[in-house]
Amino acid sequence: MQQLIISATTTGLDPLTWTIVIVGIGIVFIALLIVYIFFRYVLTFILNFRFRSFARKKGIDPAEIHNAKTIQSGEVNAAIAMALYSYFNELHDVESGVITIKRVSKNYSPWSSKLYNMKNL
Amino acid sequence: MWTMLGLLVIVSLAWTAFVKPEQERQQAMADSGLVADSYTAYYQPSEQEEPQFLDGLKQFWAYTGFRNATSGHFVMIVIGLIFIFLAIRYEYEPLLLVPIGTGILIGNIPFFTDGGMNLQVGIYQQGSVLNYLYFGVLKGIYPPLIFLGIGAMTDFSSLISNPRLLMLGAAAQVGIFVTFIGALLVGFNMPEAAAIGIIGGADGPTAIFLSSRLANGSILGDGTTVKNLIGPIAIAAYSYMALVPVIQPPIMRLLTTKKERLIRMKPPRAVTKTEKILFPIFGLLLTCFISPSALPLLGMLFFGNILKESGVTKRLAETARTSLIDIVTILIGLTVGASTQADIFLTKESVLIFGLGAAAFGFATLGGVLFAKGMNIFLPEGDKINPLIGNAGVSAVPDSARVSEMEGLRCDKTNHLLMHAMGPNVAGVIGSAIAAGILLSYLG
Repeated sequence: MQQLIISATTTGLDPLTWTIVIVGIGIVFIALLIVYIFFRYVLTFILNFRFRSFARKKGIDPAEIHNAKTIQSGEVNAAIAMALYSYFNELHDVESGVITIKRVSKNYSPWSSKLYNMKNL
Repeated sequence: MWTMLGLLVIVSLAWTAFVKPEQERQQAMADSGLVADSYTAYYQPSEQEEPQFLDGLKQFWAYTGFRNATSGHFVMIVIGLIFIFLAIRYEYEPLLLVPIGTGILIGNIPFFTDGGMNLQVGIYQQGSVLNYLYFGVLKGIYPPLIFLGIGAMTDFSSLISNPRLLMLGAAAQVGIFVTFIGALLVGFNMPEAAAIGIIGGADGPTAIFLSSRLANGSILGDGTTVKNLIGPIAIAAYSYMALVPVIQPPIMRLLTTKKERLIRMKPPRAVTKTEKILFPIFGLLLTCFISPSALPLLGMLFFGNILKESGVTKRLAETARTSLIDIVTILIGLTVGASTQADIFLTKESVLIFGLGAAAFGFATLGGVLFAKGMNIFLPEGDKINPLIGNAGVSAVPDSARVSEMEGLRCDKTNHLLMHAMGPNVAGVIGSAIAAGILLSYLG
């Protein structure tokens, strides 16, 4: 701490600066480290416990369920999702295969009539 | 002929709009709080035979942007046009740069302000529409709403499947604190330095949130006046976020070897729905208990994510991630852009802020990449992290993750890092919000 205050004085920085910096970086790391520990160990433990109790109830070997759970990687899921998406979104109705040229009859309108344009008045 | 017709229209408009009896004019001046002396300096009714027409024209001229323009206005207009050009031509963050660029144009249309006259037009003029919209920036209302939308559109799966990537999000926040020290060394006071430092978080809403609380033109207890730096900080943060694909790659290449860039990471495991629901709940509780000052941001971020992952509030999640965030983005972009009025924005401080902002992004990238390399020392072979995802620890979602992907593909066309980089990327959002909370708790 003494070292910090000396260095702060030499650089002209308030000692509070170093407190904020050290505490700030420390808390950011600690907060995210706690979240990491929770999700890496605590949550995994809880979920595994749930799987084991579920397996016990059903009379299945817990290792079997664990394998079944982890066997599907994200890539497999992505491939399945892509295949389903392609299947459902690229469906076409059965087409007749007959190409026709439709004649469109023009309805008469005096607004487009050549007979009544300015030159013919 | 058209020119003549146009002139005629302008003259007739000027006649209709400005030539009024003197009594009415005085009344209007009193209503708008105009100081009479300054006004009459530009509008002196002559005593000749037909005075009103010329006087009206003079008054019209006094009110035009051409009469009130300064070189600063034109400089800012050019900057606004560059923003719009970058957004349209190169698609650099178009959703932000188009509103901000247009906002800069709107904010730098010169108008009559002599003698403190309040036409209720400018963003800093009380009673103007823009001033009401700017209230959301000044009071830090928009950033939490943006975080709500971000939460509703973020998938934390990659982070849940590999939670150690959270630490990269923490490491990249080093940029905030290095910049904080740098800002103090160049002469900013503590609240200003903290607001500038948060640019290193590479998170626009967080930067606006913190600067609106710390560098908002208020007066401190010891009588020191804190400058209003919301505009320059927000513009710097968003500009550098848009320039992430330009700033980060050279630093990443400099800090990594070819061998490190080729590291292949394990594919992320499948994440269960329960884990996805529990992440925002426990993430909220754990982070906000440690740093309660980050509650407005983190609370809304995780709330948005709960809406998304719960699966029973689809309508709310859909609104938060589409309509709501779009509306707030329009308002925040436009008002932040408009807040860069030349007389307020073009200062020495703004130049310094831009310099410090660039350094902040550099240090943040450096922190993330070096920490990833450091982690690799302790990780077993086959489970190592590609340090190219370290840069994604700065929040800038998803641009910095995209940079990781592109840099990875440059070395190996089959090595996709995007999924892995999204982990530190969203961790960076959480990390920068926590850092903002800490700075706020000390200096707010």
